[in-house]
Amino acid sequence: MGSVLETTMMLLILSDMALLGLSRLRTCIAVASFQGMLLGVFTLLAHEQALTPRIFLIAAVSFILKGFVFPQLLRRSIREASAQNEMDPYVGYSMSVMAGMAMFGAALWLGEQLPLTLAAGMHLVIPAALTTVLTGLFLIIARKNALSQCLGFIILENGIYAIGIVSVVEISVLVEIGILLDAAVAVVVMGVAIFHINRQFDHLDTDQLDSLKG
Amino acid sequence: MYYESALWLSLLIPFVLGFACNILPSARTALGAMCCCVFGTAIAGCIAIVAVFQHGTIFIASNWLFLDGLSAYHYGILLVVFCLSSVYAWAYFGEELRKGHFTRKQARLFAGLWCEACAAMTLVLFSNNLGIMWVGIEATTLITAFLICIHVSRQSMEAMWKYIVICSVGMAFAFMGTLLIAVSAKALELGPHDSLLWTVLYDNAGRLDPKLIKAAFIFLLVGYGTKAGLAPMHNWLPDAHMQAPSPVSAIFSGFLLSTAMYCIMRYMPVIEGATGSIGWCQRLMTGFGLFSIAVAAVFIVSQKNLKRFLAYSSIEHIGIISLGLGLGGLGVFAALFHTLNHSLCKTLSFFAAGRMGQILGTYDIRDMKGALRRSPVWGTGLFLSILALIGAAPFSLFMSEFLILKAAIDKQAFVIAFVFLLGLGIVFICALGYILPLSWGGPPLKKAAPAHLFQYESFLVYIPLTALLILGLWMPAPLQAVLQKAAEIIGGAAAYAPAIGLMP
Amino acid sequence: MQTEAYMNLFLGLAFAPLLGGIINRIKAAFAGRTGQPLLQQYYDMYKNIRKGAVYSRTTSWLFRAGPIVGLASVLIALALVPVNGSTAPLAFTGDLILFAYALGLMRFFTVLAALDTGSSFEGMGASREVFFSALAEPALLLGLATVARRAGTLSLSELLAATSVTSPELVLVLAALGIVFLCENARIPFDDPNTHLELTMIHEVMVLDHSGPDFAFIQYGAALKVWVLGSVIVGLILPVAGGKFLLLNSAALLGCMFMLAVIVGIIESTMARLRLLRVPQLLVAAGALSLFAFILSMR
Repeated sequence: MGSVLETTMMLLILSDMALLGLSRLRTCIAVASFQGMLLGVFTLLAHEQALTPRIFLIAAVSFILKGFVFPQLLRRSIREASAQNEMDPYVGYSMSVMAGMAMFGAALWLGEQLPLTLAAGMHLVIPAALTTVLTGLFLIIARKNALSQCLGFIILENGIYAIGIVSVVEISVLVEIGILLDAAVAVVVMGVAIFHINRQFDHLDTDQLDSLKG
Repeated sequence: MYYESALWLSLLIPFVLGFACNILPSARTALGAMCCCVFGTAIAGCIAIVAVFQHGTIFIASNWLFLDGLSAYHYGILLVVFCLSSVYAWAYFGEELRKGHFTRKQARLFAGLWCEACAAMTLVLFSNNLGIMWVGIEATTLITAFLICIHVSRQSMEAMWKYIVICSVGMAFAFMGTLLIAVSAKALELGPHDSLLWTVLYDNAGRLDPKLIKAAFIFLLVGYGTKAGLAPMHNWLPDAHMQAPSPVSAIFSGFLLSTAMYCIMRYMPVIEGATGSIGWCQRLMTGFGLFSIAVAAVFIVSQKNLKRFLAYSSIEHIGIISLGLGLGGLGVFAALFHTLNHSLCKTLSFFAAGRMGQILGTYDIRDMKGALRRSPVWGTGLFLSILALIGAAPFSLFMSEFLILKAAIDKQAFVIAFVFLLGLGIVFICALGYILPLSWGGPPLKKAAPAHLFQYESFLVYIPLTALLILGLWMPAPLQAVLQKAAEIIGGAAAYAPAIGLMP
Repeated sequence: MQTEAYMNLFLGLAFAPLLGGIINRIKAAFAGRTGQPLLQQYYDMYKNIRKGAVYSRTTSWLFRAGPIVGLASVLIALALVPVNGSTAPLAFTGDLILFAYALGLMRFFTVLAALDTGSSFEGMGASREVFFSALAEPALLLGLATVARRAGTLSLSELLAATSVTSPELVLVLAALGIVFLCENARIPFDDPNTHLELTMIHEVMVLDHSGPDFAFIQYGAALKVWVLGSVIVGLILPVAGGKFLLLNSAALLGCMFMLAVIVGIIESTMARLRLLRVPQLLVAAGALSLFAFILSMR
């Protein structure tokens, strides 16, 4: 069973690498959607010894939100904004993948530093989740397109969600759902902002948002 | 109990009425309803605050929400800032309505979001559950994002995008920190209901894993620090303050930043308790505080926009509060006092800057001349509030800054004291360089177009100014008791006696 | 014992050119043609070896050495790869490194020979070959290192005997090796072996000036290279059946090699060649996969 969990985590990391290396926005969104569904499944896998209704609820909510709602919102933004692909990111795609591997190394090291006690077979979870967090941050920083940045935020949230799932069992379900919904609203707000930015500027390149300085 | 229902009411009134504002028939009624909502909240809130200081901490919602000395003090500041700003918003948008720059749709949106922002900040202050606290802060981010771009323009969209991206990332970090706190609370073996309760963690701080707690605090400090505008996570702040309508800038500077600082304050005693009271997190706070002061001082030198200048001044003052918290003892007391002073004073500055901007038609410092001649009321307000902001003597900001300096010198931290004074000195000189020509400069106007003012606007200027002046000269005993009670929660009850002695 | 050790050598020498025939047949079938005879590569080589070679006056001994050294090094590599479960004739501890660098030596001399002609067209091909293999080599080495680490040995024979795909890491390594396999053998999507005079070509460009027996050596060397890399991949996939069932193992290897040829044929029929700018990205991805697997195996 540990190996199924491990495979899930490897798929998580591979999807991170795919996000870093792919240039087409639609493909990236598809990968993010896959990652979201993966996390929903992972929620169940991580708690397979104690499957409570609460776990099912959280798994279902995250599966639907991260796997379908967020990607759909992004796709709609693409349609509305008739957004272009990322033209020239600050860091090239090959370099991004290499940076991704470096981030994975850093995540392995960090994972060992954090004294989290986890069940057996979960040793890959924290590094994978931290890699996802770092990938999200990287996308926000290194990409110019507002949609890519929004995608990066979703990925960042995914990573933190994964950490939360394995490390914290005792939090009340109300809090967890509140947190998930907050993330959802954040994505919606970003979507609205993207819509307005596109209408004001006719493009989504955030490096051209530079009138406010100093 | 009546004060429990007062607590519920002060949370629910703005939450419910915020939705109601969206269906009102005209812009005026929406703004009016918003003012009524805030004042109604203030009445309920005052009852709750008084009850806290008479009967002790109030718990509701099975301990998930509470009001203790620290949060009651902050809640008091929130009420003051929101009441003043709501009245000001009536005047400010009244002017825009007169000019036809403000539609009914915008008014409804603004009124609704304003009330919801008030509710969200209240939720942050009331929450005993650290998860709920995070939810509240995230909610303020999302709600206030739209307040920035009530007037949609390229610049305001840019400011909003920066605000939302930077703060969302910050909130993600804060969430990570909250998670790590929850993980370290595993050692306490609590049920799901209590695992994130601040009161429980506070009582059992010694049993938390120090290494995890340290990692958690770094995430929390970076996360909530982003929202508070601590350098180097401050980049969103000047843009957002500059582009938001002035009433919004006023609550941003006046209370939104303090809300985030409040979250950090909440965590400090838990962290100190878990790490064995070695001053680990105080050193971090001191470092961030000094860095913020330095960054603000450097950037203030070359500002052209009045609101942007005020925004950098906010970074400086948040840095001062952080420094005070980091110094501990007397510093904590002074930092809390400074929170009140800064909120009052910065609110007034943004009021005045906003109205002067409307009257003169620009926010460019180089073009804003002769403010005192164009509008004696707001000109006086702008001049005196900025004078108070930079720490001129009779005002209360001088007192709190002086107390922080004293805390530094008492601790023999002369380098800290030097950097602190240097930063304040630079800001002092630059601000005077801006404000003197702004108030008196320019050619004498032949026919000064009489600015349209509401009758009550002079109260908006003189009430905060008088309060600042009185607090600078004399601290009322009840306020001192409140401050001490709040400071005791954050860190040790040491060395208040000299502070009291210093008060003239 | 002896036959066992030399089995893969025999199989490879005999059947390597057949793989090319199979691939061409598959492609022809996809295109709805009858296609070349299965043994076409053998005919080609036979034809070439009977002809005389033409050498340009500007070339030096390097140009003549290229095909010979190339064939010799690929033969060494072939002698290091065993049939699953047995030991190769040249096996020793650390032959993994020799394996990788024997292939490297082959490429090095092919490139030198290409540069020796002084033709700018071949120089272009050489520069591309070196560029891409510089990216492919880390993927290959890291992938092999991962397997070596898991098996706890540095000998290719022991390693292939010890591993079959059980863990997710090995799936990653296989994916990476698959990409390297296609790249090193100049197949689609990296290079199109069928077109000779396109500016985008890599491998075939370099050998344009070779003729007669030299060209036959090159063709044979290329076919053997497909076999060598292919049999490593197959060896990783195939479960171990022990050293006793030699015939079974050999038949399985042969069958799998033909399967591999069919798969390559399908890939070539269904995919287009990548844009030249995209090629490094795919290779970097392969390298990332290998590195990822390697980091995982380090723990």
